[in-house]
Amino acid sequence: MRIGDDQLRALMLAGLDGDGASHAALLELAASLLRAFYRRRIADADDIEDLVQETLIAVHERRASYDRRRPFSPWLFAIARYKMIDHIRRRSRLQPIDDVEDLLAADFEAPSLARTDLARLLDSLPAKQAAAIRNTRIEGLSVAEAAARAGIGESDVKVSVHRGLKALAARVKGQKR
Amino acid sequence: MRTDDLIATLSRDVPAVPRHAFGRRIALGMGLGGVATLLLIVATIGVRPDLGAAMRGFPFWMKWAYTASLGLVAVAATMRLARPEGARAPLLWAMAVPVLLLAGVGIAELAHTPPADWVRMWLGASWQYCPWLVLLLALPIFAGLLWSFRRFAPTRLRLAGAAAGLAAGTWSATLYCLHCPEVSALFVLTWYSLGIGLAAGLGALAGPRLLRW
Repeated sequence: MRIGDDQLRALMLAGLDGDGASHAALLELAASLLRAFYRRRIADADDIEDLVQETLIAVHERRASYDRRRPFSPWLFAIARYKMIDHIRRRSRLQPIDDVEDLLAADFEAPSLARTDLARLLDSLPAKQAAAIRNTRIEGLSVAEAAARAGIGESDVKVSVHRGLKALAARVKGQKR
Repeated sequence: MRTDDLIATLSRDVPAVPRHAFGRRIALGMGLGGVATLLLIVATIGVRPDLGAAMRGFPFWMKWAYTASLGLVAVAATMRLARPEGARAPLLWAMAVPVLLLAGVGIAELAHTPPADWVRMWLGASWQYCPWLVLLLALPIFAGLLWSFRRFAPTRLRLAGAAAGLAAGTWSATLYCLHCPEVSALFVLTWYSLGIGLAAGLGALAGPRLLRW
């Protein structure tokens, strides 16, 4: 099913005028668009659904920030992108939002280059941390699956991912300077 | 909660959003903050006693033209940054126009003043506290804008915070003109702009924390 922006915009405008049925239809369509958007960028299925819901709530609460004269999709995806960056930053406890954006941009725009860089960076980490990051962040395993594969505890996986990402961030920053 | 249930809950109560709700919300936040700032001026430092006479002279209108034109640009930039996608060009370069115009007046002023009086003219009688008062009086307006932003969706928080601080600073300076008896263009260019800049800097510092959603 392909949804045109005109259709979304018409539903949004009707919702802004107080039509609950149109608003529900809009959120329904937006949910499937958002699910596709996050699926391409995030591995964990629970995280995807959390993000979809969080974004729907933001769309609902912050409808006043939509400009009636403009297309709907850019507004929706700008919110989705913001929520994703916020989510990743919270997850990996990387402080500056700019770094996350850089990582994302590198991932989207030069996947092969980024993959080589990533492999090289991961090789510089202790084997356990590298494996934990590879399993959960690149191959998209859940924490439990990654723990089973490596034969260690779940909290061990989480700590390894956390420490590894932190070390990687420090290394990437060091390279830039 | 399942996503379908969430959608059903959200769609149960869908209040209409009036056509100009966005602009009205900015105006209301800034307006309430501005009233608070005005009351603060009246209650503490006071309106200058010769306001009526001053409003018939050039310096008063020069100051207002400067702060208000900066204020319009700042509000326009704030409104752009309050929307998630419209954050590309926040218009701030347009502020160069009033700055350069005021600098031109300042140069003319220097040409008509003996060099021995230049420093006194530049420092006026209140340079030590003028920037701080502009900053302090910007806080209620900034708080009003924070309230406005609760229904908006900024995605570049630092820039949005800076723009909101700038808007608060410029309108605080505009209201401060009702108290301030200084007449020199160079004074305004330096010390008013410094106060406005401090407000923008504070906004940039606080933005990522206070505007997060």
